[in-house]
Amino acid sequence: MNTTTVDNTLLRRALAAVTTVDDPEIPGVSIVDLGLLETITATEDGRLTIGLIPTFSGCPALATIGADVKAALEVLPEVEKVTVEWLKSPIWTIERVTAKARRTMATDLTLAIKVDSGPTLCPRCGSPTVEKSEFGPSRCRAIHRCGSCFEVIEVMRDR
Amino acid sequence: MTPGTIEFLLAFADDEHLMGQQHTEWIGIAPFLEEDMAFASIAQDELSHAALLYSIVADSGEGGEPDDQVINRLAFDRSAAEYRSAQIVEVACTEWAHALVRHWLYDTAEDLRWSLVKQSELESLRDAAAHAAREERFHIRHADGLIDVLLRTPDSAKRLADAVGELLPLATGLFDPASGEAEAIEAGVASAPFDTLLPEWADRVQTRFPDIDIGSISAPAFTGRMYRHDDFAVLITRINSVRGIDPTAVW
Repeated sequence: MNTTTVDNTLLRRALAAVTTVDDPEIPGVSIVDLGLLETITATEDGRLTIGLIPTFSGCPALATIGADVKAALEVLPEVEKVTVEWLKSPIWTIERVTAKARRTMATDLTLAIKVDSGPTLCPRCGSPTVEKSEFGPSRCRAIHRCGSCFEVIEVMRDR
Repeated sequence: MTPGTIEFLLAFADDEHLMGQQHTEWIGIAPFLEEDMAFASIAQDELSHAALLYSIVADSGEGGEPDDQVINRLAFDRSAAEYRSAQIVEVACTEWAHALVRHWLYDTAEDLRWSLVKQSELESLRDAAAHAAREERFHIRHADGLIDVLLRTPDSAKRLADAVGELLPLATGLFDPASGEAEAIEAGVASAPFDTLLPEWADRVQTRFPDIDIGSISAPAFTGRMYRHDDFAVLITRINSVRGIDPTAVW
């Protein structure tokens, strides 16, 4: 993430505020931990511009996320105006999801992550899973089943 | 941005938009649950590609009007004569075999079409192409997987063959260039005319359906994409029906 250095205090407070915004489809996981935040810039008179990237360009949650980010920042007293921009690049990849988010997704939501190296692992028992459908409840999810404990799990993916 | 480039982008955007809208028609009535999900996900991608392309046109304006409103106006509020879509995305496919074959024919052409703008001088178009390239692989894989299975039984193979026979002439119309294509190429927006990839597309069609003699596919007559299919009027009315209930609603 890149920030300018107009006012480090404001930028730190803005980052903290954006971090409180959860993904609407993954409650308990911050959009910052999902890797959606790319840039924060601020002017001396308190105008913030937040640059976000979507998981997929057609994600229907973008408007909600943008509104949530604005709401979280507009309560800060030194903030004059908030602009949320959806950036066309870089492209979001699964590597942007932090270890903290992966743990929460696995333990609280039985939601796994699909990585390029090796099989997807069951968040319950750690065994390899088998893909049952490329298509899940949203564009960024597939449906797998664990080969060992037979749990049906959603798998977050980036392609 | 020149008027020719805008025409070029609108033709691409209109194809993506109407293809996405057509796919959404299968939500809830596809033959099995996974296809409901698949067509919904693929439709979502096509609609997002359309939004990216319309937004490039919107950004090229003088400003004053918010981009979202310009995008909506381009997507929904033009007259039939102003659309630049190909008839393959306008025709109603009420048989699922037809919808599946259209999905394959369209995505195979779309994959080639994005390849012509991945090194565009227009940065926003290059970015859109990068998004699309990642998503298109998944579309083709989906259609291929099903077609592989369906070609193995005589009844479904015949349905697919009938669909290919009926839809191929319309799908070839995708290669009917937008009237601004030459201008867009000159400006470095696209690297070559789309119909230079027609032989490659025809090869892929023949390889996909080896038991169907598709004959030789030649470039479609140039129409500038001025003429709408008979099914367009019903389609655009349905697309706008919910929006029409309250035109001032914020989505």
